Amino acid sequence: MKIGLECHVQLPTKSKMFCSCPTKDCEYPNTYVCPTCLGMPGSRPVLNKQVLVYGIMIAKMLNCEINDTTWFARKTYFYPDMSKSVQITQYDNPIGERGVYYLDGKKPIRITRIHVEEDPGSTKRTADLTSLVDYNRSGVPLAEIVTEPDIATPAEARQFLTQMIGDIKHLLQIPEDMEWEVKCDCNISVGTERVEIKNVSGLKNAEKALHSEMVRQIAMIKAKKKILRETRRYDPDRDVTISMRVKEFEDQYGYIDEPDLGIYHIRDLADSIKISESPQNKVLRLSSQYKIDSKMAKQLVNTSMDLADLFEEVAKDFDTANAIKWVGGPISANWRVMEERDCEIDLSKLKGFIKDFVYGKITDTQCAIEIKSYMTGVDASSVQDESAGLETLINEFLDKNPKIVTDYQKNDKAANQVIGYVMKQTGGKYSSAEVVETAKKLIEARF
Amino acid sequence: MSSEDTLKNLKRINEKYQMFHAMTDDVSEDGSKFLFSAKDNLTSKDMETCAGSRILEGYHPVFDATSIEKLRNDGGKLIGKTNMDEFGFGTFSTNSGFEIPRNPYDLERACGGSSGGSACAASVIDDHISLGVSTGGSICCPASFCGVYGIAPTYGRVSRYGLIDYGNSLDKIGVLSQKATDLKKYMEIIAGKDDKDPTSMVQPEFRTAYRKTKSVAIPKEGIEGLSKEVESTFKDAVEQLKSMGIDVDYVDMPSLKYAMPAYYILATSEASTNLARYVGMRYGHQEGDHSLKFDDYFTAVRSKYFGDEAKRRILLGTYARMAGFGGRHYAKAREVRQVVINDYKRVLETHDAVLAPTMPFTAPKFSDISKMSALESYKADYLTVPANIAGTPHLSVPCGYDSEGMPVGMQFVADHWNEDVLFSIAEDWEKQFELRRPEVSI
Repeated sequence: MKIGLECHVQLPTKSKMFCSCPTKDCEYPNTYVCPTCLGMPGSRPVLNKQVLVYGIMIAKMLNCEINDTTWFARKTYFYPDMSKSVQITQYDNPIGERGVYYLDGKKPIRITRIHVEEDPGSTKRTADLTSLVDYNRSGVPLAEIVTEPDIATPAEARQFLTQMIGDIKHLLQIPEDMEWEVKCDCNISVGTERVEIKNVSGLKNAEKALHSEMVRQIAMIKAKKKILRETRRYDPDRDVTISMRVKEFEDQYGYIDEPDLGIYHIRDLADSIKISESPQNKVLRLSSQYKIDSKMAKQLVNTSMDLADLFEEVAKDFDTANAIKWVGGPISANWRVMEERDCEIDLSKLKGFIKDFVYGKITDTQCAIEIKSYMTGVDASSVQDESAGLETLINEFLDKNPKIVTDYQKNDKAANQVIGYVMKQTGGKYSSAEVVETAKKLIEARF
Repeated sequence: MSSEDTLKNLKRINEKYQMFHAMTDDVSEDGSKFLFSAKDNLTSKDMETCAGSRILEGYHPVFDATSIEKLRNDGGKLIGKTNMDEFGFGTFSTNSGFEIPRNPYDLERACGGSSGGSACAASVIDDHISLGVSTGGSICCPASFCGVYGIAPTYGRVSRYGLIDYGNSLDKIGVLSQKATDLKKYMEIIAGKDDKDPTSMVQPEFRTAYRKTKSVAIPKEGIEGLSKEVESTFKDAVEQLKSMGIDVDYVDMPSLKYAMPAYYILATSEASTNLARYVGMRYGHQEGDHSLKFDDYFTAVRSKYFGDEAKRRILLGTYARMAGFGGRHYAKAREVRQVVINDYKRVLETHDAVLAPTMPFTAPKFSDISKMSALESYKADYLTVPANIAGTPHLSVPCGYDSEGMPVGMQFVADHWNEDVLFSIAEDWEKQFELRRPEVSI
């Protein structure tokens, strides 16, 4: 089975790709529009150069070769939400080609190309079978990332998308809470003929659509029926794919170069753009550089890139053991609480506590209390009482259930029993991260 | 005729010549410094803009074309939008969804095209300038047929913002007038960078200082296939140029004959994508059966309101862009364009301008045009197409009259951005040429 993806992500520019209309959502239809994005006769496109910058950043992240010159093309097709009946996209010389992106740092997924293009408007069907078109989205910039058919299963497709989208969000500094839709065209062939599932929204649906289509193709092959090369769509409610049309080939769009826009020489621009390390690469580097478990590296990065940076600083200032002990321990456990407190936190203070510990000024326990107290804003004596209470509770439970300790040595999931017990007993008094942290510490102390 | 008289008599003038599709209702001069008209493919806020197509009937743009805006800002009053071939698709302004302009020298003859209404207005109305648009010769051809001066500047010299596209890599906005000196005066106003049209942003300074012309080159390919009358009138004009102290050389420009097929591939390929937006949804005609599926609705509107020539060019362009042909036709046509440019550059290294008659014949009768095949009328553009495909500036001057009194024009082509060379030649020519005005009675 082969799976290849064409993934569309919105680029976070303030204005549209070829005009100065805003890209933000609007309550009312056809509000953020102008002659250009409505395709009025006589209007013409003016490129928002930030689109090239973002395109180059993604191309770099995907290890693509960046073309010295890039330009735009017209893709002609008729659809009501396409205001010019022409989409300005890229065909020859896209921004980047021939890249590779590693799934979990191991499996290479080849990237065919990454290009930028404008989004059409959107069509809304009403109950009385009429359709309404809203051009607010018309001209919003997108990047399209096309992979080679290197993905083996629907689950792997989702894993790939989750990892890549996480990296792109970090790269383009897209806020965690921002609604940011990802749309995919999913290509899958179980046998020899390829089927494209068009316009699937969201990562979960991509996996479900591919799975559903895989099951259909297997059934077809078993029944000795011919699979047509076609375009289908996915109905998430019924969990089936439905035939739309026999696949049109790219050539049928009659591409020509966009004559209203020139050729862009992007070599110098590309050289000047330095991208920050992607979360995925940081996980890989942390675990290999500091010889830490990849789970811990992932937990640090996923909690916060700042937390991962702090880990590196502590490792550099003191040593890896202290970074694991403190940043991987209580600092990590209290990170969310600290973030939710919404107040200025001086991370160098935390390093100060660790320094005091390293120089023998405070004990192990004192250091843990100081860190927690500073991060949660709870005074030190209450922290001490609370954690003593928590430790007592856990130790009592472990005394009664000694098997957990031996089970834990085989599989650390055994600690979940302790966590479940404590959470139930205390009704959320302690953060789950803190309970996990303390439980693991106390279990490991019993080895 | 004074400006006041022109405005007062506008409707009557138009009844006779049909140069305008839309006209101003406001006949006061209103402190304006000059009157102008514009081809109907340039958008205007206060006047319907249809580009000669019924599919845009009733369309009132929300913005002025940059060229119109600049003339207005300089004190110009827009008095009308001129009739043209639908979207610029033609040589005689007869391929129109609306009125067909009549030649001021003989009402039974065409004005040329596609800026026929603009040439007609420039010829008939005193002290008038008209904006035209050239894709393959649409300014010089009607200038020649109507006995006026007309310039199509270098591609990218005038902002195309507000120009309803035919072939975006070919379209140029220029000026037509009875006076050569007006071309320079008004080109200077409309030329220049405009950030609303990226292709206007790379131009060098617009020069207007006089430069004495030393020599012109006549390509042998440019004097083949001429009517007898055009041939002899042109010959006399060449002698006249020599007497003005200009050296005339005959040269070979073998690429010129490939310009025509390359032009029709590029122009129709681009046109077929430009015309895709006219589907009866956002502007122009919206009638039709709304219960139809969207593609059936689009087809119904397009079938009904596009003219035959528009449909022909959509088909040609779509074919040229089709699977498997893109490389063979479109890419090759672009190579030909480069070869033509190189040919001009080579000749213009040693000459100030390239010269040939503008059209191979004088304005034909409507009755003869109706007998011409599409191919025959395409071929009539063989003298104007090369400079257009090369994007080099070119200017047509009236150079004589045939035995029936119809004007003959000749066209100078200069190197990219050298409009000043053309203005200088045209002004020298104007000083010694006796322009015969058509008899205008209303």
